[in-house]
Amino acid sequence: MITRYYRVAGHLFSVSGEAKVFTQMKNYKPFATQEDDCFVTSLEIDVTKEKPSRIIFTEEMRQEDEEQTIVCGRNADGQPVYQFGWCGETVGWLVCATDYRLGWLLTSGKHSKMAIDNALMLLFAMATARLGTALFHAAVVSHEGQGYMFLGKSGTGKSTHAQLWLEHIEGTELVNDDNPVVRDGVVYGSPWSGKTPCYRNVSYPLGGIVLLSQAPYNQIRRLGGIEAYTALVASISGQRWNSRIADGLHQTENALVTNVPVWHLECLPDEEAARLCRKTVNSE
Amino acid sequence: MKIKDGFVLREVCGENVIVGEGLQAINFGKLLALNESAAWLWKQAQKMGFFTEEDLVKRLCEEYDVTPDEARSDVAAILDDWQRVGVI
Repeated sequence: MITRYYRVAGHLFSVSGEAKVFTQMKNYKPFATQEDDCFVTSLEIDVTKEKPSRIIFTEEMRQEDEEQTIVCGRNADGQPVYQFGWCGETVGWLVCATDYRLGWLLTSGKHSKMAIDNALMLLFAMATARLGTALFHAAVVSHEGQGYMFLGKSGTGKSTHAQLWLEHIEGTELVNDDNPVVRDGVVYGSPWSGKTPCYRNVSYPLGGIVLLSQAPYNQIRRLGGIEAYTALVASISGQRWNSRIADGLHQTENALVTNVPVWHLECLPDEEAARLCRKTVNSE
Repeated sequence: MKIKDGFVLREVCGENVIVGEGLQAINFGKLLALNESAAWLWKQAQKMGFFTEEDLVKRLCEEYDVTPDEARSDVAAILDDWQRVGVI
């Protein structure tokens, strides 16, 4: 059994498992650290060939998108349990302490990278929700020392818009393409970035947040407090039916909409959209 | 009547809003803005658990300087709103 330590958005966590587990964790390398004190959460990973008889839980909620399924529930001790599925097959079970300071992942050995990444994202998001931290579903670029985060439903074109900045706006870099972390008005890269391998251990003060939607024209406007809050809520991972998690996320969201301008960009996937967006968010 | 499980009163940028956070309310998908007296009534209703229109009218008259008739029409309008969006 090996234990390794990682720091994401300033939060330290540990992962323990057999050596082969870490061969699937190259995306965590930029976040590796030698420090070993004060973990926000710890994950232990085991691999099994058969369906474990010990994991019995009551389903509360199920999340299905494309090939991936996550079933959430609780076991008889009230501990949160998550079952990860890939293309109709169960690939792992995660059992957490009720405060999410500890997690135990059992993978079936197939698609275990998917189970490991999901387990760590989940544990991280839940364990840090009460610490002023939020794991977003967003694409992020940096430009002139600031981070700009693009939100929107799956398929809206977050990555496409980020790509347009990279192509047409000099000095732009991709920070993260799918799962950045925001803490105290600063956006951080993470080991999770969807289909784009962009695992950068960098951070930038957030200069603006842009909600995207598709339109046959390009138009941008600033969102007011409640509209901005709604946009953030829809883009943050976390189980709001756990009231402690919901309270923490609410405080983070409220502070963000107070301190960072939030915009709504209705746009085409073209150069003009990126230029309009940059011009507007940079004027703040 | 009763406030449905999963709905929470939050202060967002200084305004009172109802958000659906619980498992039973996860598909609410919107925020309901409340003015000050509606937010106050929400808190009363939340405390009571089960309540009637008359309960809220009575509380409103005790707290604010309004006639029972004014209170009744205010409460009816607010409950109408809540019923329409499905939070009670």
